[in-house]
Amino acid sequence: MFLRILKKDLKRKKSMNIILLIFVILSAMFASSSSYNMLAVYGGIDYFFEKAEMSDYVILTLNQNGEDPAEEIIRNSDAVKECNKEDIIFYSAGDITQNGEKYVSFENPGVIVSAKGMKLKCFDRDNEVITDVPKGHVYVGGIMSTLEEVHIGDTIDLKIEDKTVTVTIDGYLKDALLGSPFIGNTRMIMNDSDYSELLGAQNIENHCGGIYYIRTDDMEGLQNDVAGVYNSLFSADAATVKLTFMLDMLTAALLMIVSICLILIAFTMLSFTIKFTLTEDFREIGVMKAVGLKNRSIRGMYMVKYLCISVVGALIGYFASIPFGNLLMAGVSDRLLLGDEGSAGVGIISACAVVLVVFLFCYHCTRRIKKLSPIDAVRSGETGERYKAKSVLNLSKSRFGSNLFLGLNDVLSKPRQYLSMIITFTICLLLVMMLATAANTLMSEKLVYLFGTTKSDAYYNSTEKIMEAMGNSDETILDKSITEMEDTLAKNGMPADVHVELNYQIPVKFGDKQMQVLMQQCTETKTTDYVYDEGLAPVYINEVAFTPKILEELGAKIGDKVKMTVAGVESEYTISASFVSLNQLGRIGRLHQDVKTRCGDAASAFAFQIDFKDNPDEKEVAARIERMREIFNTDKIYNAAEFVDKCTNSSATIIMAKNMVLMIALLIAILITVLMERSFISKEASEIALMKAIGFKTRSVSAQHTVRFVVVIVISTLLAMALNWPFTKIVCDQIFGIMGAGSGIEYKIEGLELFALYPAILAVVVSLAAWLTSLYAKTIKADQIGNIE
Amino acid sequence: MSRLIEVNDLCKTYVVNKKQNNVLRNVNFSIEEGEMVAVMGPSGSGKSTLLYTVSGMDKMTAGEVTFNGRKLSSLRDNEMADVRLDEMGFIFQQMYMMKNLSILDNIILPAVKSKKEGGSRKEIRDRGLALMHKLGIEETAGNDINEVSGGQLQRACICRSMINKPRVIFADEPTGALNRSASDEVMNEIVGLNNEGTTVMLVTHDVKVAAKCTRVLYIVDGNIKGEKNLGKCENTSQVRERERDLNNWLMEMGW
Repeated sequence: MFLRILKKDLKRKKSMNIILLIFVILSAMFASSSSYNMLAVYGGIDYFFEKAEMSDYVILTLNQNGEDPAEEIIRNSDAVKECNKEDIIFYSAGDITQNGEKYVSFENPGVIVSAKGMKLKCFDRDNEVITDVPKGHVYVGGIMSTLEEVHIGDTIDLKIEDKTVTVTIDGYLKDALLGSPFIGNTRMIMNDSDYSELLGAQNIENHCGGIYYIRTDDMEGLQNDVAGVYNSLFSADAATVKLTFMLDMLTAALLMIVSICLILIAFTMLSFTIKFTLTEDFREIGVMKAVGLKNRSIRGMYMVKYLCISVVGALIGYFASIPFGNLLMAGVSDRLLLGDEGSAGVGIISACAVVLVVFLFCYHCTRRIKKLSPIDAVRSGETGERYKAKSVLNLSKSRFGSNLFLGLNDVLSKPRQYLSMIITFTICLLLVMMLATAANTLMSEKLVYLFGTTKSDAYYNSTEKIMEAMGNSDETILDKSITEMEDTLAKNGMPADVHVELNYQIPVKFGDKQMQVLMQQCTETKTTDYVYDEGLAPVYINEVAFTPKILEELGAKIGDKVKMTVAGVESEYTISASFVSLNQLGRIGRLHQDVKTRCGDAASAFAFQIDFKDNPDEKEVAARIERMREIFNTDKIYNAAEFVDKCTNSSATIIMAKNMVLMIALLIAILITVLMERSFISKEASEIALMKAIGFKTRSVSAQHTVRFVVVIVISTLLAMALNWPFTKIVCDQIFGIMGAGSGIEYKIEGLELFALYPAILAVVVSLAAWLTSLYAKTIKADQIGNIE
Repeated sequence: MSRLIEVNDLCKTYVVNKKQNNVLRNVNFSIEEGEMVAVMGPSGSGKSTLLYTVSGMDKMTAGEVTFNGRKLSSLRDNEMADVRLDEMGFIFQQMYMMKNLSILDNIILPAVKSKKEGGSRKEIRDRGLALMHKLGIEETAGNDINEVSGGQLQRACICRSMINKPRVIFADEPTGALNRSASDEVMNEIVGLNNEGTTVMLVTHDVKVAAKCTRVLYIVDGNIKGEKNLGKCENTSQVRERERDLNNWLMEMGW
């Protein structure tokens, strides 16, 4: 008997049951895919580092006068348990051409390693270890694999000094050390014979260096011992290297937040749908009670029905979660090696959890059956619901047209019915707004100070000129380059001062603690020109400033004295200030401009900063940047905002995440709109029939229903606008914190983009979806007014 | 008196489980302007279907309904909606109302939608209140629909059907859900409207209701089996005699 009633119910209330089924499928799909993603990403970097056999500490060096002094220091350290050196050749983007034309553009020098000489396991996109590369072929990774102009199968010429090798790009690699675009350097793996050919180039010793993979049980001792490696370009422990992948983790984490939001949304919708279908059934429940069925039997019938739907839905959802989960992780798994152990189990458990949640929801909702007396159910309105909705607006006093009025009044009279949609759309907008703000801030000149530099009119990034000076004993090379540049600019009617910030790896001692710190210095500016968080700018030659991270690692504070060996001379310096920086993941210091340094010792440098003497306006600066690009035959001359973008290398990732979140948000908004509107039509069939009976056209009904969704979007937008600042602050502070800058970031909020563009996109998409779905109201005829329960 | 509705060979067939059910079979009749016509007949005879098909709410299978010189079959959905909005009023057995509108707002909704009478929102409101005053439910204007009695609600439905001054009111058992006293009140209002010139076509089971009409059509198995011309009910003393007369006729028809 019950089975027959159930069968009839499933058939008769087809649309509502299908809507419920779709929501269960969505919930199961989101729950399964996001729990799998969470598991994969949670252990993702550790898994990757373990499989890559990443060491405890890494030092990247560039030869000094053709020699690498690091080797001896490391060999003499007692803290070193095991050390493997990978020989590398440095190259720059300008060294690569295709058919004689420039091929790519990236800022920092890349490194070439031979496949046989590799001491770190790198993986291809199929997660296979790269053990060999055929002659004439290469694998590229890091930032190069993200560039649009780079394609697998491209044949390129790589010229180091007088030697050129022609190679074809075989694929992209997953690199635990240099894989993140945040690190800037890119790795190229080539065949041994190609590598040997490059080693035969003139002056190759100035292009060579090494990557030391060190295993240790005494990290502090190792850091003390290697603090004197002055030719190191980069040195960090594994934990710091892991941080470079934080942006990938961030993308994954954002996607997980989206997934969790989606699960919450789906469950909210489920609750709504279950309550909704039960409301529809009140008359039947009343009749069943009137003929003597017990509460338990009625409730049991509904439980069985929802169990059937949830089991079918969860099953479909689980299988749909596999491609969906892969789609979500696509961007992240390009660079990270992610494990998939136990993913099936997690997916199944999640799908089962959905069944359980639906069942519990149903159990909770059907409690109302107990409270209903037969007479209540039969008498309280035509569908059993009580007319609790109170009109908030008065048509007689309103100036709105009937469609606008009915739509607006409906939302305002029954806000609970729209609450789940309002929450959904608000969350979607908040996520997109927050990511857009993060991306805009990362491309804003407001962040220039966070790179420990001053604002200039233009920034010329010339890896070649910097590399020429670095590791060279001729101290005048850099000055000559600057003078040449100033002369060229003056000749072309753009008189300017040019300066460059150099970074030195300096051993810093505080008490027993010794570590190597990258120190910035510019002899053409004053330390007082920079921004500090605490303390006073170094005014005297024996004063120094560090970031809070360095102070924390040293265990020092402002006012303490540290010993530093600069240009071979050890002196005592007083810490006078601390400052935040996005450089080196927040691990950096600043030397007074008068401290004697050796240009050749520089580990890296910023761009050449150009300040025009004649104070041109913004438009003229833009025009001059264009002219300079022609004069110097490079596209690496930027304004302050572009320079910040290039330095962070992360706006693209954030923009990608934002676009992905926007697409997912729109997709979810469409799904929810379609399902909700379809539910409304089912529920309000009698009202639609009544409207038609008194002369409303289908297009009026559609307009009225569409207005409701527009009202919901407007409310969501207002809520999102109100919550945007605290939400953005909380989440973005974390993002910038990971990148090295603490709180106090001045966010760039583009009002028009945030509060007009994204809400407008959402409004257009949702309205369109609502309008198209509302056309289903056409099937409801005026004469159905008496037939619809 | 001019002819307002002309029905020729009207057929309506429903297909249920691949079986044809001919609910209306070649129905022919006409209604003059100002008439008040009752349709009676046993359950399942096709009374409501006839009302909905003649009013254009339901599509006819064959035949033709001419309303005020216009063939309903030639009208598109939107044109038909305009006809219903401006020239027809509807009263149903159940008091269907928009749930989250007040009584007054429910009444004036068709007027706000229509361009026929025009007027500002205040004028429309005054028109609605005047109708409510006339039907004695003025005090319920601001109430929600769950705050009034069934009789008041049905009178509100009548007000709504009258707000655009339609040429005809179609009523499907307008007193079916009401008690006797409420039923009498509602019928008196409908008769009053008819006396003011509004044509009325109603479906009823109630002889007392039908006796107040000028003409009664008796339908059996989708066919008009007979019709009884009662003429205008001039005063209340005639009512009992008209009821008796109608009862006798219905007995003859097989009621």
